[in-house]
Amino acid sequence: MSDLIVILLNAATLTSILMLVGLGLAIIFGLMRVLNLAHGEFVAIGAFAMVVAHDAGLGFIGGLVLATAVGALGGLLLEWGIVRHLYHRPIQAILATWGVSLAFQQLLQLAFGTGARTVPAPIQGAVEIMGTAYPAYRLLLIALSLLLFAGLAIAMRRTSLGLDLRAVIQNREMAESVGINTARTFSISFAIGSAVAAIAGALVAPLVSILPQIGVNYLANSFFVVIVGGVGSLGGVLAGSAFIGGLDSLIAYQLSPSLSRAIVLLLAIILVRFRPQGLVKP
Amino acid sequence: MSPRKTGSGGLGELFRKDRSHTVIFLVLAALVLVASPYLDYYNTTAVRDAAIFGLFALSLDYFWGKTGQLSFGHAVFFGVGAYAYALVAPVLGGTAGSLAGLGAAVALPVVVAGVIGYFLLFAGIRGDFFTIVTLALGVIAQQLAISWVAVTGGDAGLVGVPPLTLGGFVFFSPTSTLYLALGTLVLLYFVVAILSAGHTGKVLTAIQCNETRAQSLGYDTSAELLKALMLSAGIAGLAGALYAATSGIVVPDLVGLLLSTEVIMWVVVGGRGTLVGPVVGTFLVMRFQQEISSVSAALWPLVVGVGFVILVFTAPNGLLPWLGRMGRRLTGGRTP
Repeated sequence: MSDLIVILLNAATLTSILMLVGLGLAIIFGLMRVLNLAHGEFVAIGAFAMVVAHDAGLGFIGGLVLATAVGALGGLLLEWGIVRHLYHRPIQAILATWGVSLAFQQLLQLAFGTGARTVPAPIQGAVEIMGTAYPAYRLLLIALSLLLFAGLAIAMRRTSLGLDLRAVIQNREMAESVGINTARTFSISFAIGSAVAAIAGALVAPLVSILPQIGVNYLANSFFVVIVGGVGSLGGVLAGSAFIGGLDSLIAYQLSPSLSRAIVLLLAIILVRFRPQGLVKP
Repeated sequence: MSPRKTGSGGLGELFRKDRSHTVIFLVLAALVLVASPYLDYYNTTAVRDAAIFGLFALSLDYFWGKTGQLSFGHAVFFGVGAYAYALVAPVLGGTAGSLAGLGAAVALPVVVAGVIGYFLLFAGIRGDFFTIVTLALGVIAQQLAISWVAVTGGDAGLVGVPPLTLGGFVFFSPTSTLYLALGTLVLLYFVVAILSAGHTGKVLTAIQCNETRAQSLGYDTSAELLKALMLSAGIAGLAGALYAATSGIVVPDLVGLLLSTEVIMWVVVGGRGTLVGPVVGTFLVMRFQQEISSVSAALWPLVVGVGFVILVFTAPNGLLPWLGRMGRRLTGGRTP
């Protein structure tokens, strides 16, 4: 019983992180049909923002703010400098953003060294849930992620930017012809997607050893979240991250983490064979 | 209704269509051959490695260049071939071991490509989706290579891989391994070039231009793409086996993302779809890499990253087509 609760909560932790990383990816891909291979680097940026904040004594909240700011700014710059020019050349966009990703990893390595960094969790101790002790910070992480995701989902429904965004995802030409400034929508949503990935990195920072290459794993996983879940809908992101995160935690309980990740991604490929549109159709 | 075959194929067709590329390739191969006795130990091994990686780049160009589908995990096939040779060849030893190792190094990547390609290609996964899924495969493969210590030797890899032995002759001296790599490259260049110039290549080009139209002409496009991927994987696996046999060591980096990225760079630098371009690109980029690495090894991934961005914006079709365009401009704007 207590094992089951731990597995479920571990699955919820991983699902929350994947949900946030996948969200940015899904919005960017759904909007612009561009696969941003540098998306994982925003997770790394967020995690290192936490390291910087910790070293400077800014604390957890300071780290979150710094991660959000750097993530959003980085997203704006990437969109403005590179992605904007490659909307109609998807393969070139993949190559260019991958180049950015490689360069960024190396820059992070030059700045922070090759060794792994760690940051302490802002709240220590464990909470007892149905007789099982579970780290309090992980519960906070799940709560914060759900809050952020729900907030963005409401913003998609209620704000004018959300309306523009959904219109552009549905039909770009039509959205343009009714006067929506697609270039502006692209920039802002790219910045938001990158900032959310950076927040995910900041949130996960106390749980992992922070390396410059940390982004690649999240990148591969969150692409599967989007592919498995279905492109262009928040429900798809939710379903996809639950699928990937849930299975990964379940299998990792019995097998090594690398093997479980391999099995999950292979299962995802098999799933895609039978449901190419994803679990949730937009 | 089966589609009518087009063209006669074979060498004749190749020389009629792609004469300039084939001539460039043969001239360069001959140059290397003539220069080989004068190279020192270091340069001999460097040119040999470039020939092996050139073969790898050729395999990617056959798939990416001809079908338009970019595999971002091509090092998986190269690495699986290398591991297969390193594991199988020592079991029997001698000529039999080498042949069995080569056979395994070609067969295993073909099977892997067949299984993965079946699930992806027949599900209609194309374009950037195909690219991203193959990228994830590279991530999986690297993790497996590192964590499956009992088979792969983990991070340390496998050392003491036996050199290729054929009928009592051991390809061990740098010069003999250079000839081995160069000979294999020339042979497979012709195999791939003849296929590309003939019926198979035309079907693949048709699929790249418009898959729906190719389907309506009666072609099973998913099956054609799968065949191309399997052939490409087999050649990549052979290149991997040659690398394992000549360098004597196999490490997880051989299935890794950086190698998958580098091979794309070699193809892009040389010119995608030209077959000879990627081979030339490999030689040029690897030479450049030696220069950079002599300054600082850590600098190389940074250079690759920035190089990608620059290439995409300045010469998206690669250097060979770019040089061709410059050449035509200089000679008075004649277009062939």
